[in-house]
Amino acid sequence: MRGEGIEVNGKEVRVPEELHEVRLLDVLRDHLGLRGTKYGCGLGLCGACTIHLDGAAIRSCQIPAGAALGRRVTTIEGLAGSSTEARLHPVQEAWIAEAVPQCGYCQPGQIMTAAALLARSPDPPDAEIRAELSGNLCRCGTYPRIRRAIRHAAAESRRG
Amino acid sequence: MAEVAPGLTRRDFLIRTGWVAGGTTILTTCSFPTLPTFRAPDAADAPSWLQLLPDGRIRFFSPKSEMGQGIRTGLAQVVAEELNVEFAAVEVVSPDTHQIPPVLVTAGSRSMKSCFEPVSQGAALLRETLRERAALRLGVNAVSVRDERGGFASSEGTRIAYAELVGDEASIITADPEIGRSSPRYAVDRSRKLECIGRSQTPVDLEAIVTGGEIYTRDVVVPSMLYGRVLRPPRSGAGLADAKVEAARGIDGVVEVIVDRDEGRVGVLTESPFILERAVGALELEWGGGAAVGQSDLERELDVERARERDEFEHTADSEGHPLRAAASAVHRLRTRYDTPLWAHAAMEPRAGVVSVTPDRVEVWTASQDPWYMEGLVAKITGRGRDGVIVHNLRMGGAFGGRKRCQATLEAAWLSSIVGRPVRVQWSRGEEFRDNYFQPPFSHFIDAGTDAEGRLSHWLHDFTACPIGFDSATIPKRLHWLADQVSDPGTRRGALTPYRVSDRRTRFSDVRIPIHTGQWRGLGAAPNTTAIEVAMDELAQIAGLDPIEFRLRNLGPDRERLATVLREAARLSSWDEAVAPGRGRGVACVVYEEMTYVAVVLEVAVEDGAIRPLRAWCAHDCGLVVNPGQVTAQIEGNIAWGCSVALQERAEIRDGANANDSFETYPILRQMDSPEVEVSLVERPGDPPAGAGEPAIAPTPAALVNAVFAATGTRHRRLPIRV
Repeated sequence: MRGEGIEVNGKEVRVPEELHEVRLLDVLRDHLGLRGTKYGCGLGLCGACTIHLDGAAIRSCQIPAGAALGRRVTTIEGLAGSSTEARLHPVQEAWIAEAVPQCGYCQPGQIMTAAALLARSPDPPDAEIRAELSGNLCRCGTYPRIRRAIRHAAAESRRG
Repeated sequence: MAEVAPGLTRRDFLIRTGWVAGGTTILTTCSFPTLPTFRAPDAADAPSWLQLLPDGRIRFFSPKSEMGQGIRTGLAQVVAEELNVEFAAVEVVSPDTHQIPPVLVTAGSRSMKSCFEPVSQGAALLRETLRERAALRLGVNAVSVRDERGGFASSEGTRIAYAELVGDEASIITADPEIGRSSPRYAVDRSRKLECIGRSQTPVDLEAIVTGGEIYTRDVVVPSMLYGRVLRPPRSGAGLADAKVEAARGIDGVVEVIVDRDEGRVGVLTESPFILERAVGALELEWGGGAAVGQSDLERELDVERARERDEFEHTADSEGHPLRAAASAVHRLRTRYDTPLWAHAAMEPRAGVVSVTPDRVEVWTASQDPWYMEGLVAKITGRGRDGVIVHNLRMGGAFGGRKRCQATLEAAWLSSIVGRPVRVQWSRGEEFRDNYFQPPFSHFIDAGTDAEGRLSHWLHDFTACPIGFDSATIPKRLHWLADQVSDPGTRRGALTPYRVSDRRTRFSDVRIPIHTGQWRGLGAAPNTTAIEVAMDELAQIAGLDPIEFRLRNLGPDRERLATVLREAARLSSWDEAVAPGRGRGVACVVYEEMTYVAVVLEVAVEDGAIRPLRAWCAHDCGLVVNPGQVTAQIEGNIAWGCSVALQERAEIRDGANANDSFETYPILRQMDSPEVEVSLVERPGDPPAGAGEPAIAPTPAALVNAVFAATGTRHRRLPIRV
């Protein structure tokens, strides 16, 4: 028996039954007002809508809200709160330190993918970074800075 | 077609009748369509851009739109320099269209080039206005008041901060053009040490972006707004043959279904965003007519070799000496064709708009390269004067030339004007791929050669493409005949060889096709530079010369800046060192709009036919660099984009529309394939700032093609390499 609600960024939220078939992305944005998660393609091909479901990076355009009932969702707005008391998550800090974003639209998705990667693999080699982040498209071409920022965050966490 | 008097060419006719002056159409008649903003930024406007706030901070209304290029940050650095404050003391605001006078569309890598001077002048004027106030307050002559960080000091050492100058008589101070004293310019004074210009300032807004707090158009919420969708013809020229909409109207929560047979469109409005899909799905629409052209139709229409057989090109962009005669004496000769396909912008944010039409005024939330153009377009749609339309211009989730006009916003304006409530329209990825304009296909033929020493003997370059500057989306159909008389400056961008060759000719045709073509990053520069720079590589090869040495040998003394970046790229990449087996390096360069000079070296690995760009080195001279970090970011982005089009991008036309309407069928470069990029910013002291948003895209595809040749011996002359 699944729960009635979804735990979103540490808070239990109720999702009305008529929205259970709506894709999670739209429920996050238009029902819960969490608009940091972006629509990019609706087909799971670009990664702009990446969130964490029970800690794993997933495309929120690819599952209905009902599939998240009783589970833990973290969005870009809740990323910092999910790990530390700090204002920003170390990946977000690294993103600013390396001045990654250009237009910025894909970056919440990039950051969510990177954070999930580092949680699982604290010091990923270049090939793993490239493979893991290849589902997140960036038209501005911030890819080299994304790699640098992930290495930056990994180094910071080693320093503790 | 207008009647042309005997003995006059069509172009002469247009010039004499006053329609065309120096290649630019004069826009005078009142029946003319709403057009993009061409008003150059002017120091006289600067008082509207800058304010001293009561807390001593400087508020800067950026005259340029932000799309990730970092212009707001760069211009704010100029403000901080002139006003002698820390960068953090400048608060950057994206103004609405009533807050500052209209300024030139944000495009063409011209923002820093065109705004550096007026922003610097305006900020200097504000500083001197403040000095006058400080002198009054201190009871001394203004000339004795010297600068302090964030304020002034008297010759006796009494300090007075900017914040103290606001006093209580006014809450905000702006520059006073009447102060009647000269305003020395700190940003250009080479005897001063620059404090802010030339530093890699972290862009404003980054914290909002990385926390998901930045507001893009899709994130705008207006109380009581409706959710709208507009169904458009599937191809240019098609109309609505039949519309059955009763089922959609019957769905609970559907507010309105509007059938507009004249314009050939259907609008749907719902109370909830969650039923919009269902309402749209319940519509039964039949479209008819229009040009159901296919890919082969386009390729035939734009086939450069067909045009050469007829020896018919609309425009001669350049003609010197006797290239046909010189061709006969060439020792090494190349006659080759190069083709690039239709390319989409594929910005990550599909466009959107929120518009609220009320009896008093129209409020617009959009993200455009030209908010005043949007203001004019919305005014026309809603039947208001521009005074009654206010446009809030948000950060673009990528623009690249594709956001001059933001069609979703115009659709929201139409719907809101009918229902009188705020309306949100968001395009899907499919709409973004199908219903915007494209970079046209280019088909080139180059006949060129060298003498025995590897010096160019002749250069004959013909190409066919489509209008880019005078695009079908901006110019209404009834005026196409007129626009088509003019040699399109966007199509020919980058088409002239930068190399020294006295016998040369460049001709082209800008053929209007039923697919909307228009502005795309760098306009014609990437396709044109691809042809020129792959041809140069082929010439070097048949002349038996190193590609960089060959280029240097063919540059005139007026191209010293290009020669410098070529040498710098060679140094940076250790060009002379051997490359591992299975790998290859290629080079290409460009003079971009006679302002920016770029050379790119690219190294690829080719394994089992798979091409992977490994590393790129770029030497880039765009004059004074205000923010090296941001200029470098633009170069990295251009190189990624150039690799992307060279390897895999292609819009394919079926039944008059782009059939490659998802990232599956129109793939763009992924993290996996993105090269490491090393940049060297070449800066000659005293050069003014030029552009960096587009130049490096131009040589990158050619550098990649040339690298693949070096690795494999196979020369790809039709992009993309991987189809």
